[in-house]
Amino acid sequence: MTRGERRNLRLGLAFVSPWIVGFLAFTLFPVAASMYYSFCDYDVLTKPIWVGALNYRDMLTDGVFWKSLYNTFYFAAWALPLGLIIALFIAVLLNQSVKGRSVFRAIFFLPSLIPVVAASMAWLWILNGNFGVLNHLLELCHIKGPQWLADPIWTKPSIVLLALWGCGNTVVIYLAALQDVPRSLYESAEIDGATAWVKFRHITIPMISPVIYFNLIMGIIGSLQVFAQVYILFAGGGGPERSALFYTVYLYQNAFEYHQMGYACAMAWVLFLIILSLTLVATRSTRKLIYYAGE
Amino acid sequence: MSTRILQRVLIYTLLLLGSATFLMPLLLMIATGLKPIEQTMSVPPTWIPYRLYVQKDGVLIEIKQADVNRYPAVSIIKKPAPRWGNYVEAIKAMKLFPRYLSNTVILCVLTVVGTVLSSSLAAYGFSRIEWRGRNSLFVLALATMMVPFPVTMVPLYSLFRWLGWIGTLKPLWVGSFFAGAFNVFLLRQFFMTLPKDLSEAARIDGCSEFRIFWQIVLPLCRPALMVVALFQFMYTWNDFMGPLIYLTNQKDFTLALGLQFFQSQLGGTEWHYLMAASTLVALPIIVLFFFTQRTFIEGISMTGIKG
Amino acid sequence: MCGCAHKEPDRTADGRVIVRYWEKWTGFEDDAMQAVVDDFNRSQNRIFVEKLAISMVDRKVMLATAGGDPPDIAGLWSSNVPDFAEKGALTPLNKMIERAGIKASDYLPVYWEQCRYRGFVWALPSTPTSLGLHWNKKLFRDAGLDPERPPRSLEELDAMADQLTIVEINRGGKMVRVRYPELTEAEKRDRNFTLVQAGHLPQEPGWWITMWGYWFGGQLWDGDRKITAGTPENTAALAWIRQTTEKLGVNNVRSFGASFGNFASPQSSFLAGKVAMVLQGVWMYNFIDKYAPQLEWGAAPFPAKDPVRFPLVTLAECDVLAIPKGARHPKEAFEFIRYVNTQGPMEKVCLGQRKFSPLVKVSDEFVRNHPNPYIKTFIELAKSPNAVYVPRLSVWGEYNDELRSGIDQILALSATPEQVLSEVQRRMQWKFDRVLRRWDAVKDERIKEWSEYDAR
Repeated sequence: MTRGERRNLRLGLAFVSPWIVGFLAFTLFPVAASMYYSFCDYDVLTKPIWVGALNYRDMLTDGVFWKSLYNTFYFAAWALPLGLIIALFIAVLLNQSVKGRSVFRAIFFLPSLIPVVAASMAWLWILNGNFGVLNHLLELCHIKGPQWLADPIWTKPSIVLLALWGCGNTVVIYLAALQDVPRSLYESAEIDGATAWVKFRHITIPMISPVIYFNLIMGIIGSLQVFAQVYILFAGGGGPERSALFYTVYLYQNAFEYHQMGYACAMAWVLFLIILSLTLVATRSTRKLIYYAGE
Repeated sequence: MSTRILQRVLIYTLLLLGSATFLMPLLLMIATGLKPIEQTMSVPPTWIPYRLYVQKDGVLIEIKQADVNRYPAVSIIKKPAPRWGNYVEAIKAMKLFPRYLSNTVILCVLTVVGTVLSSSLAAYGFSRIEWRGRNSLFVLALATMMVPFPVTMVPLYSLFRWLGWIGTLKPLWVGSFFAGAFNVFLLRQFFMTLPKDLSEAARIDGCSEFRIFWQIVLPLCRPALMVVALFQFMYTWNDFMGPLIYLTNQKDFTLALGLQFFQSQLGGTEWHYLMAASTLVALPIIVLFFFTQRTFIEGISMTGIKG
Repeated sequence: MCGCAHKEPDRTADGRVIVRYWEKWTGFEDDAMQAVVDDFNRSQNRIFVEKLAISMVDRKVMLATAGGDPPDIAGLWSSNVPDFAEKGALTPLNKMIERAGIKASDYLPVYWEQCRYRGFVWALPSTPTSLGLHWNKKLFRDAGLDPERPPRSLEELDAMADQLTIVEINRGGKMVRVRYPELTEAEKRDRNFTLVQAGHLPQEPGWWITMWGYWFGGQLWDGDRKITAGTPENTAALAWIRQTTEKLGVNNVRSFGASFGNFASPQSSFLAGKVAMVLQGVWMYNFIDKYAPQLEWGAAPFPAKDPVRFPLVTLAECDVLAIPKGARHPKEAFEFIRYVNTQGPMEKVCLGQRKFSPLVKVSDEFVRNHPNPYIKTFIELAKSPNAVYVPRLSVWGEYNDELRSGIDQILALSATPEQVLSEVQRRMQWKFDRVLRRWDAVKDERIKEWSEYDAR
């Protein structure tokens, strides 16, 4: 290396040093330790005891583990597509030259900013089966609303509702992408007599496809890790018949209530693997569909 | 022409309906916080808190909900009457509310300072200096963003316990002084938009790298730094899982954790206090948002587009 | 006051050691203990006990202990002792108790046993409880039953419960109120009525719903290494729980239950006269006194399925005071615990909470002046050989959760007792084995550590 290169290396590392230390202490060490703990029986008050793959084997026969996985997937399967579509729909609406767009945009965005704890309290009241507003509104339409938080069938849909309410940041990202689409494309399509739907399907979607992909990946990662709302709405217990026991809540219970930290670490690694595989699958399967304007 | 008008009407109607739906939970939270306890659980629900009065000798006298049957229905007058006192009562009922508030503010300040400083330093290193291995290391940094929090949760807890930090606020802010990957990424993208010649010229002039960073590059990136600061503030203010795991002493709780603790203690839930408290916890964020809207939105857009 | 090393101050302004005490009580129960704390603080000038009312105190103490910053005294439940002790979260009190001259014979056996685990003493009792049948004399009278005669067997209870159950049903276009035995077979089958009053619901109040097996002579573990959830006695208990809901209809029972107000209010099920008989503890008297003073009530042992083989069955538990591991001032903490366990202060706090005393030696005035007219019944129950307590297992918390979850299904009529119990058996044996494995690996080390511990 030349002297200049050496100088640059030193400087570069110096600037980046906070990140390096953080990486070693708060990422590398914990990741390695977590892998080790997942093969141990560890209750934080005493030393870890090596047990091999026992935690992983136990997971296979643990009915509650599978239930929490099912609950989480069920939630994601509904919340993700619905969220992406609804957010896109709202963004498209906002993209029409509407007066007061910034006000509308602010209104849609605001719920995603509110502290999750506060929002959960509000929804705890709204979803109440007896005096909640939601059931009252349904009653006005002559529908008998269910016990959202007490009926095992309706607990997950309640969380989906909450999640959809918070789709504002997705809307904003879509909106920014929509505004980046060159107007000229639409104009030439209109000259060719294209309808709104054709314009949407053949211009808008491809042009914003990288952003749809981004939102999809973020959505996968986020929806599989939902914690605070579920923990608060169902008082950390998983709801009636454990219908709202999500994966991260069960993980938390194992770590901090049952003090089975080894088992919790094993669960965390399984989650990691699931997220990685889903991300990979999503990337592979949509690769052909994404159109990068710069290519 | 008329299809255009129809289109416009449709769009505005949908937007208005949508806004009303999205706004309603917040408005309900605020309204319920202003009601007396009976009106929070009434069926059908009351939208606006009220007081009931009857006329007696030309004077309006308030009557209780329970006594409604004693008077002919027509003589009862309903007047909107928000119970502002609920806020005071809720704060008193939460007992340690001022403490929660100060803890949260302290944490927010510390994390914002820590994040802005460390992330900008690291982002600078990853973008404004050419050095060997820079890009591979950056890819590594990006990869760490994929690691879900639960994976590191238990060992971090162990680490903090070993350091004796559980039961203090330290686990919640010390980490922010070590450049989280997300903010480094955001700022790096921004730094890269500045022309290289800017740094080159300063270097030729004999400026130390740090001076270039501090006096030339940083001031130019104020909008990006604002975004990072805002996001971090909001994240720390709203953070629930972190305090839940690391704080054991009630006097250390943040507002988020304190609110949940309050709710779990209420048993036969006192909705009016709970909603008033929730409004108080959400209010600073709402206010902050209204003043910094543009920055927020730009920031979110930046993460989406460049991501 | 920055976010830095934020440990609490250790001493008061006048140099006293501050002992932090986390307790579960609020209201008058809290006041009763606070009075004793104040007495203690006044009686000497070296120690100042600072009590905090904490909800979910056991969970919070465990978290704080695991985090390395626990309070000095933890006001736990006796059922917490095995779990906390096995995890090494408590300090063993053997040596300190010996020095203080406290003996097993000072206490009613059922409470002393619950403070011990694996041969060590982990806590001392603060206030005891026992459970008994509470019945509403007026409702008995209205139903044509002798108000002074409570049921003496479970079958008798069920029969009386039927008579005491009133429903509102549509007969020929008019809504009338009838007692359950007066319904026709068709009406009983259709279950097309609204519950207005219930004789007895096993799920009210539901705090001990997982323990009905004891009244059927069942055990939940064999005392050693086996979970015994699926025994015939436990199955019979769950079948009995299911029976009432099945008879009255799931939705009817659910809506009826939804109409119950907060426990500590005049709308609570028994206090509002909606349920005629209920299993409750010695403290129930206070709530009646406060929220439903007009209620005519009586208390007696809750009858078992086979009252001849198992007379005087009750669940006897107590609140305990323990010292978490890593507490900063264990010696001073023990001084307060010992103070509470002397006759005077103990009677003061128990009287203040309207309970009886766990000590064998009780002053005559205590019993005489006690406001609860049935206090002698509860004391007798606590001394009974059939006074039981929850399994002394470190996994009892999870076992209880599993049972509860299963009973939820039973009450929704979506599973049979056999299904529920076999599932619980399987899961709990797995969890128990896991914990036993850990204990086998660490026990020598632990027992050595515990035998040597002393706080001087």
